[in-house]
Amino acid sequence: MTSKYKSFEYMMHPKSVAIIGASNNPDKVGHIITQNYLDVGYSGKLYPVNINVEKGGKIIGIDAYKSILDIKEDIDLAVIAVPAKVVPKILEECGLAKVKTTIIVSGGFAEVGEINLQESLLKISNKHNFTILGPNCLGVMDPKSRVDTLFLPTFKIDRPRIGGVSFASQSGAVGSSVLDMIANEGFGLAKFISYGNAIDIDEVDILEYLEKDNDTKVIIFYIEGVKRGKEFMKAAKSTSIKKPIIVIKGGTTNAGAGAAHSHTASLAGSYEAYEAVFKQTGIIKADSLDDILDFAKIFETQPLLKGKRVAIITNGGGVGVLATDSIYNNGLIQPELADKSKKQLRESMPPIVNIKLPLDMAGDANDKRFNDALNIISNDPNVDAIMAVALFQTPGADSRVAASLIHFGTLMKKPMVVVSPGGNYTKAHKDMMESSGIPVYPSPERAARALAALLNYYEYKSKNEGKPARIKR
Amino acid sequence: MKLMDYIEAHALLEKYKIKSIESRYISNSGEAIKFSDGKPIVMKALSDKALHKTKSGLVALNINGENQIKKTFESLKEKAAKYKPYKMIIQKMIQHNSENKEIIVGGREDPQFGKLVLIGLGGIYVEAFKDFSLRVCPISKNDAEAMIGELKSKDIIAKTEEEKKMLEEILLKTSSMLVNNDIKELDLNPIILHDGTYHAVDIRILK
Repeated sequence: MTSKYKSFEYMMHPKSVAIIGASNNPDKVGHIITQNYLDVGYSGKLYPVNINVEKGGKIIGIDAYKSILDIKEDIDLAVIAVPAKVVPKILEECGLAKVKTTIIVSGGFAEVGEINLQESLLKISNKHNFTILGPNCLGVMDPKSRVDTLFLPTFKIDRPRIGGVSFASQSGAVGSSVLDMIANEGFGLAKFISYGNAIDIDEVDILEYLEKDNDTKVIIFYIEGVKRGKEFMKAAKSTSIKKPIIVIKGGTTNAGAGAAHSHTASLAGSYEAYEAVFKQTGIIKADSLDDILDFAKIFETQPLLKGKRVAIITNGGGVGVLATDSIYNNGLIQPELADKSKKQLRESMPPIVNIKLPLDMAGDANDKRFNDALNIISNDPNVDAIMAVALFQTPGADSRVAASLIHFGTLMKKPMVVVSPGGNYTKAHKDMMESSGIPVYPSPERAARALAALLNYYEYKSKNEGKPARIKR
Repeated sequence: MKLMDYIEAHALLEKYKIKSIESRYISNSGEAIKFSDGKPIVMKALSDKALHKTKSGLVALNINGENQIKKTFESLKEKAAKYKPYKMIIQKMIQHNSENKEIIVGGREDPQFGKLVLIGLGGIYVEAFKDFSLRVCPISKNDAEAMIGELKSKDIIAKTEEEKKMLEEILLKTSSMLVNNDIKELDLNPIILHDGTYHAVDIRILK
């Protein structure tokens, strides 16, 4: 039997792919998948398969086959996009053709009550010793090896650049919308796995694969429910020590739960059980899609936050006040700067700037003021992280301020986040900074939540690596 | 699910060295008078059909003296009539003290993750404040510590290091009882923290 790990390797780095249900008709899912393989520049062998193809026929200009059995070459991956009732027959043929692994994109199984039809699939794959991802899923994406089984045309959904965040999603809808959002955030993707009804490959297999995958630095996960609870906990524990796992759980309300027989059961429902699991396994809980993206980008780009002390610098007083509130609301604190820093700041800042945190450098603060403040504060031993509020609406702020933030944010050994609420001019600078690895947030609250997640993960990790967590207070 | 007999549940707790208050069934008020021996007692009617004993008026606290015991026995019998079948039980009364605190410790079996253990602010405040924390069993000492640390009421129910340690021990013992027995749901509510020790005064185990 192909191991689940090996199956993922075949999916992400296939030397040959058969697309069953490929078509010249642009309305067909199989057409879009084939076209995508071409669009993203897949370099292995591609075999479109369609029962209606004539001998010597072509699909999107590539030699096509009537059946997978007509291809007399090794096939690593079969992507299946045919109507549900035909899938068992196709799977049987995949078995005879000795494919290594399959992705069943087709829907129409347990999600619409066709439980027997779904169960018949697993019997076939077990008999022939191959694995199944899906059914009812989008499949996988690996921008580095240029693999893309999504049936969403490249003009409709942007593809993220290559990076260190891997994303697994039970739901295809959450999967595709988050991917589109990732492409427009400042971080890149390592692997995308949409696993749908999870009849064979499930959450546990995915975690075990991503744990070992060297390209994956951060894992984000959308789950509705896990199938193997205890194994999931084990895999999550072992993975979260090595890399952060950020989970958003769908179905957080216990709607429809029956009357409880005890106080405990009425308090501790299924979602509360998941929350307990997350705490015990070091999983970082995201409460919204915003959280998912906000957390992913700080974890991908920044070092871990090793203490609570966040220094805020700002070119606008009011947002500095809001930023201070957001720090405390998220369990972080604002330190007192070291005397040496105060002295240096006093020498470099104009007299209107009050030398205390939050450091309000005034609306006319230019790149020189940002440079001096960042240079001094990033070296202050009382500071664990910097939140830089850069309001690009102000007279002094332009691209040189963004360049200054990029310079210090990249070189300093402590985490830095930038808060820049605003419109198009701000967005241009956000994109500049994010493509250089500086996480930028539209509000202090979201930046503070991300910093708190960074600290919580550090605390979990140090506690569970056997080293005491030394949190500076 | 079936409710475990109270005395059997009491014995199970004892096996795991979880303290619960001395209790016995009675069939007449004479047995209660003898058990009381001049000290205040608690009398309860137990029924599968009444989850909220206090709300249903099936608990009488601090009863003392022959007359009061007799009267209470009769009035509880009357109130319990609509929850048949029921059993009458009496317990030693923990002397009321404003320093006493009530907590809940509980558990349930989750279809995905197995046994869960819970601690929270207890007694009549359980559902009003919903101040509790939860973990999957078996729990470690670190887990127990974190569970107590998460409670909003931690400075009320676990002010001192000794109190924290006591609660941690209850949690660890409860976790091991849950893991090793066929228990679907468990409520120890309340456990009264008093005089530097504690006693579960109500036990509900569903098998």
